[in-house]
Amino acid sequence: MAVLEDGRASEKRSGDDGDDMPIFNAENLQSNMKSIYYSRTFLSIIGGVVAGIWGFTGLMGFIFYFLIMATASLGFVAKAKFSTHKYFDCRNRILMDGFLGGLMSFVLFWTFAYDIVHIF
Amino acid sequence: MAEDLVLDTAIRDWVLVPLSVVMVLIGVLRYFVAKLMRSFQPPDRKALKEGQVVLRARNLKAGANFIPAKSFRVRRFYFTNEENGLLHVPKDQAQNAQAQMFSDPNMAMDMMKKNLSMIIPQTLTFAWVNFFFSGFVAAKIPFPLTQRFRSMLQNGIDLSTVDVSYVSSRSWYFLNLFGLRGLFSLILGEENAQDDTQRMMQMGGFGFDPTKSLSAEKDSLDIVQHEWVLPKMEQRAEEVLRKLVK
Repeated sequence: MAVLEDGRASEKRSGDDGDDMPIFNAENLQSNMKSIYYSRTFLSIIGGVVAGIWGFTGLMGFIFYFLIMATASLGFVAKAKFSTHKYFDCRNRILMDGFLGGLMSFVLFWTFAYDIVHIF
Repeated sequence: MAEDLVLDTAIRDWVLVPLSVVMVLIGVLRYFVAKLMRSFQPPDRKALKEGQVVLRARNLKAGANFIPAKSFRVRRFYFTNEENGLLHVPKDQAQNAQAQMFSDPNMAMDMMKKNLSMIIPQTLTFAWVNFFFSGFVAAKIPFPLTQRFRSMLQNGIDLSTVDVSYVSSRSWYFLNLFGLRGLFSLILGEENAQDDTQRMMQMGGFGFDPTKSLSAEKDSLDIVQHEWVLPKMEQRAEEVLRKLVK
């Protein structure tokens, strides 16, 4: 099973939730989003190779991809110690960002590995 | 038709892997060439000034609720004043700036260089793939597609009974084109995360258009409602300090 590698260097505090209105440091927010993007891309590539080697076809492969993405989201939320409002402005961002972008890489590496192992 | 075709190992060695390797290398090459060819242009003073004014206006908008109402109004007036406000551009100057930008040779050259460096490698690789690698089944995609995709994916193969999952190398090229974007962003750093497809989408809107952005900032400043979020600030500061001292 693919090792959930946390490719993130440091989780930077971008929101300072005082009493009522959170302020966000734009630079840190952007850096956090970037680390999420990198992690997701990396995971989709590794997931694609694993799916190909294991011989998933059709729907099973896509289900596997969504499973990996869900695990990644869970990992991110856990790393943020379940208080995502401190690090991100909107909870949806941590869950949905980079979802579809990773899909193409996943399909590419899935096809590649599947062909190399099973067809040839 | 669910029979598995047995494909020659030579296809794997000489088609799939070289094509992917070539595309990765071309991407890396393109990145470095773009970096080398980036001509350093001394920034235009006027454009820089306008950019900074826009930045200040944006900061004011962002921090509007943290300064007292009167200070905010004074600052906003400074920006949006009709006579000599910084964001107010008289009408005749508006047309001028745009015409100037279009005829600016440096900017045109830069745009053309960028476009060419994107399009040429793609075209060349596509022609190469079509010439050398056509007429045979190159790969099998692990998920089934409908018959309608057949003409798109199997362009060189003239048998109509072959399963649609078996695709030609042209579709492998396209798959690589889209899938390697993520890989490039990982290995080349953040700058190169965009590539052809995204730049083509960005081509619609033109570059920096100073007058429009100024009037846009002015309008958005005008509609900001001031809401003072730090009421009783002194009492709160007192509480925090007392807690610290205890």
